[in-house]
Order: sequence, then structure tokens, then C-alpha cells
Amino acid sequence: MRKLHPLSIAVRSISRSVNVGLLFFIAGVFASPGGAGGTLVSVGGMVLLGIVVAVVYEVAYYERFRYELTGDTFDVASGVLARRDREVPLRRIQNVDVRQPVLSRLFGLAAVHIETAGGGQTEVSLQYVDEEEARRLRRQLRRGARAEGDEDDESVASETDDPSDEDEEELLFEIQPRELAILSVFTIDPGASLLGGIALSFLSGFDPTTLIPADLVDGLPGAEGGLVALAWLVVLFLLAAWVVSAVLTFNRYYGFRLTRVGDELYYERGLVQRYSGTIPLEKVQTLTITERVPFRWFGYGALAVETAGYAPGQGSRGTESAIPLAGYDRVVGLARSIEPFGEVDLEAPPKRARERYGVRYLLVVGALVGAGYLLATATALERWYLPAALVVLVPVAAHLKWRNRGHQLGDRYVFTRTGFWNRTTKVVPYYRVQAVVHTQSIFQRRRRLASVTADTASSASLLGRAATAYDVDAERGLEMQLEIEERLQERLRARKRERTVGQWFQHDLSSDEPTGDDSV
Amino acid sequence: MERLNPRVRVVWLFLAVFRAGIVGGFLVGAALVLSETGLWANSPDLLVPGAIGLAVALGLVRIVVAWRRYAVWRFEVQDDGLYIERGVFTRIKTVVPYVRVQHVDSRRSPIERTTGLATVVVYTAGSRSADVAIPGLTPERAERLREDLRRLAIESEGEDAV
Repeated sequence: MRKLHPLSIAVRSISRSVNVGLLFFIAGVFASPGGAGGTLVSVGGMVLLGIVVAVVYEVAYYERFRYELTGDTFDVASGVLARRDREVPLRRIQNVDVRQPVLSRLFGLAAVHIETAGGGQTEVSLQYVDEEEARRLRRQLRRGARAEGDEDDESVASETDDPSDEDEEELLFEIQPRELAILSVFTIDPGASLLGGIALSFLSGFDPTTLIPADLVDGLPGAEGGLVALAWLVVLFLLAAWVVSAVLTFNRYYGFRLTRVGDELYYERGLVQRYSGTIPLEKVQTLTITERVPFRWFGYGALAVETAGYAPGQGSRGTESAIPLAGYDRVVGLARSIEPFGEVDLEAPPKRARERYGVRYLLVVGALVGAGYLLATATALERWYLPAALVVLVPVAAHLKWRNRGHQLGDRYVFTRTGFWNRTTKVVPYYRVQAVVHTQSIFQRRRRLASVTADTASSASLLGRAATAYDVDAERGLEMQLEIEERLQERLRARKRERTVGQWFQHDLSSDEPTGDDSV
Repeated sequence: MERLNPRVRVVWLFLAVFRAGIVGGFLVGAALVLSETGLWANSPDLLVPGAIGLAVALGLVRIVVAWRRYAVWRFEVQDDGLYIERGVFTRIKTVVPYVRVQHVDSRRSPIERTTGLATVVVYTAGSRSADVAIPGLTPERAERLREDLRRLAIESEGEDAV
């Protein structure tokens, strides 16, 4: 049984002290009567108490934490008050992530997170071990998982048997300064607006009016001056948010590298914090190619590899991007090296789907005008009918939406595409399909349309982005449902055959290998 | 195609009336509070009758939907998977291959017990259709269905559940 790195007490204590100390600080501020001399003492005392509690807890946590890598499981015994012993079978591991936040990086430590498809959150977190140990664990976990897992064909099997091949890295992708620059400039980080606002208010000394240049407003009469000042503040805010967003994105994807080692992908990224991890190729559920609007115009796209490892609510970690940004051809090339799909020739939805989008957008414009009219009756709002001009855009929008939707049932994969602003193409292997759902809303039924979803266990689709072919002909939709289902069975049978044959060949090598199959 | 036991309408109607009662109670209650206590100084005279009307209309819609739901609901234990058709407004047809079935539950809520019905729930690892429930089964049918699904899931012996 191994223990965490002793320095992890320090790192964990500091980060916990900051949290707990902040909590107690706020509690102290609220609890103490304002303004008196005693306030500082009581607040300080509370903070100190918080820190002591945190340190004691972390020492106990360290003392209680044990982990061990056995032949086919990873065992962890942990818990200060409630104890927990956990065994994770190596074959069931989906992702292994190594994270180095700023503080732990200073101490040369790293956190190792192990994800399986079960459970609500990260199944195992080792916070923290030293960098060398993190590397060793990552390699060992992978080797263990591979030795255990059933191999699909001989070439992979022979590779597993030869340990010298183990660490041969093949560089698949490395972000170029130009790509990083474009990515930073055009990515909008949702957290950035908040941070930008905070930064701005600090700059102004918590008085936003100081940010407005006096000579800009002075010459104007009251109301207009106010409007200009407001617009000025909005521009400043957007500018701050944009700068913060660019800095955050730059920091996140700096030095992004993707390599392939045997049958796993390995990524690393980050400027201040370092993140790295493995994505086992045999666990890939879905490939997602995203072409966001400004990037698409320059011929760029992104690729995400989805596994079943992450739980809902783990935010952006739901999918680790395999490629944050690269030329479209390279993105597709890499996607093909992961799942060898052929030419993609998507089938567009029927033309009447476009009419449906047109009607939908017309209704939106109508609602806007209606809201304007209601507002005009209640307030002094004039020209409430102006939004009606948006009608001009309706056919364009409907056409663009229609143009960017499509689907294809290939030999081994289902392809679906949707979205104009954020065009997303999903590649789903048939044998990963969990269920096929054919839905028809009342509006779709009017036009004999339907949406067909090939549901997988991918954790990213929890946010409502499963592989769905929108607005196909209803009859065709039923055929598609049947076909996906049949191909799933066919692919499963084929894979089973391959595996059985593979087992005959390596029968002597691993006669005691479990014939039961790998779930998840 | 197998249909549900007609008695399931009793369960759905009861639930519809119950829920409509709660929502309607809130609506009418809020209208009464607004008009009686003078929180809203010159509230229109039609406020309370309007709220009652709205509550009744919503309740009626719920009842109609509950009734219609029975007409739409169908399921079939096919060769390779469980096929389910449902949905009054949005019609949903789902195929769950037996290979993907993780586990099967049968359960009975208090209303189901009084009407002598049961529900079978099929769990998969999928993200969208992780659990599929078939309500309105007699306990014997539910038991049989659960056993069948269990057997079929084992026989299909999937390579990867996920």
C-alpha cells in the first residue's frame, strides 16, 4: 500500500485554508458588530480557527489515505470520518487524467483522477502524488488495462506482448502559435464576463463612474449624456471580458499536444496549470467535429473524443478535446485515424423541413413585434413595429439552418450534423448505440417529419447533444431506426467473431483469459 | 403490438386530477390573495373567475391527455430489442436492444397497488433513454416481462454494455 506524497498535506492545507478561511472570514464579518475595534480580532480569530481545522483535517486525510495497484485492480482506502475501501477493475477504467494546478505544480506534485463509467463523480482522485509517480501510475494503469482487455485483432495483440513498443509515441497534433492566437481571440469563455466585470470594478476603485471620461459626456444634454456614458461602460465591459477570455483560453490550450501510444491517446495542455490524460481508443463512444462560426469561415474545426467516463455536471471536462482548433482537413484526418470512416456524404432533410424553420422564425418575429406593441401601450416606446424588418432575414435563416443539417447511415458509422453557428458533426459507431429513438412533435407530424436519435453512453450527450438526425421524412425515419438497430446487431456479431478468432490465435498465451466480455 | 391494461387510465386520470388540483389551487389561491387583500389595488373584476376558468381548462387538458395516452401507448418484445411507442404531443418510438439492458426493475406505487397494476423499468447505460418505463401491467404480466427481459438480456450476451 502506498501513501500520497507528504507535501500534499501542505498543498491541500493551503488550498483548503483559502476556502475555509474565506468562509470563516465572511462568517466573522457577518457575526461581528461592524466598526468596533474588536471586529478585527474576532474575524482574525475565526480565520485562524478555520485554518487550524483545515490543517488538522488534511493531516488526518493524508494519514488515512492508501492506494495500491494490483495485477488487475486499483485499490484505494480513504476517508477520515467515514472510511471507504474501493477497488476499481483496471479493464473498466475509461480515462486517466493528471492535473497540476498552480500550487501543486510549484511543489512538483500532480493529482491523478481515474474515471469509470459508473458512479456520479470521479471514481478515484489521488491528491497529490509527485510527478514521477503520476507518470508511473498512468503508464501502469494503461498497461494493466491493456493486458487484461480482450484485443480485437492480432496486430494489437502482438503489440501488447512486446513491451518495447509500449512507450513509442506518435505525435498526432501540436497546436501552432497561429492556431492558438486565433483560438484565443475568437473564443468566448462564459466565465470571462464575470471575471472581466470584477477586474473592471477593481480598476475603477469600485466606482464605475470614474471610468467615464468627463469630456465625452460634458458637451451633451442630460439624457443623451447618460446614454453615451452607459454605452461607454458596456463597451468597456465587453472589452474587459474579451481580454480576460482570450487570456483564459490562451492559458488553457497553451502547448496542446496530442500523441498516440499504442491504443491510447495522450493529451497535455496548459500554461500555468498543466493538464494531461489518456483516452483509451477502445472506449471511444462518439467523435464530435465542431466548426464554430468564425473558425469555420477560416476553414478551421475542432475535434472532441467522447467516452463514458465523466459524470454529468463535470462541466467542460465532459469531453476532452482531442484538437481544440486546426484546419478542417487535419481534423477529419485525425478523426479518421481514430475511427476509420470513409467519405462523408450527408443526406439533407426534405425541403419541407425548411418551410418549417421559416414558419418557426416568422412566429419568433411575430412574437417580438407583439411584445413591442404591448410595451408600446404601457410605456412611451415608439416605433414598436421595427422588429418586423427582421422578416427579411427569415428565409435566409431558415435556409441556413436547413443547409447545415444532415445525416448518413454509413457501413459502420452513423453521421449526423446540425447547427449553423456551431456546426456539429457526430460520428457514432453502430456498436456503441444504446437505443434508437424516433420522435415526432406535433409540428413535425403536420409535415410528416421526425427526428431520429442514436443514443450512446457518451457522457457529453447528457447536455442534450446526442447524435440526432433532425427532420427526416417520417417513413424514412422508421427505416433508419430499423437499420441502425440491425447494423448494431450485425456489428456486435462481427466483433464477437473477430474476438473469438483472436482468442484462438493467442490461446496458448493467455488460456485463462476471461471469455466474459468487457462491459463499459 | 401489446397494449397496456385499460385500468392504467384510472391511474393516469387520478394523477391528472390530482396535479391539476394542485396547480389550480395555486392559481385560484394567488388570484384570491391578490384581489381580496388589496395587494393589487385595482385588480380587474374578472381576476378570480379568470383564474378558476384557467385552472379548469388546464385540468381538462390534462384529463384529455391522460385519456389519449392510453390510446397511443404500445410496446412489443421483439427478437432483438424492446420496442415502445408513446407520447400524446410528441410521439416517441424507442428501440432498446436487449444487449444494452443493464438491469430491469418492476415497481408498484400506492395507486398502482390499489388498482392492481405494476410498472417495469428497463435501464440502459445510454444518456438519453437511460431508463424506459412500461406502466399499466398486471403484476403477473410485469413479472413475466421482467423475467423475459432478463433472459433475453443474458442470452444476447453483449460484448460491451456501454
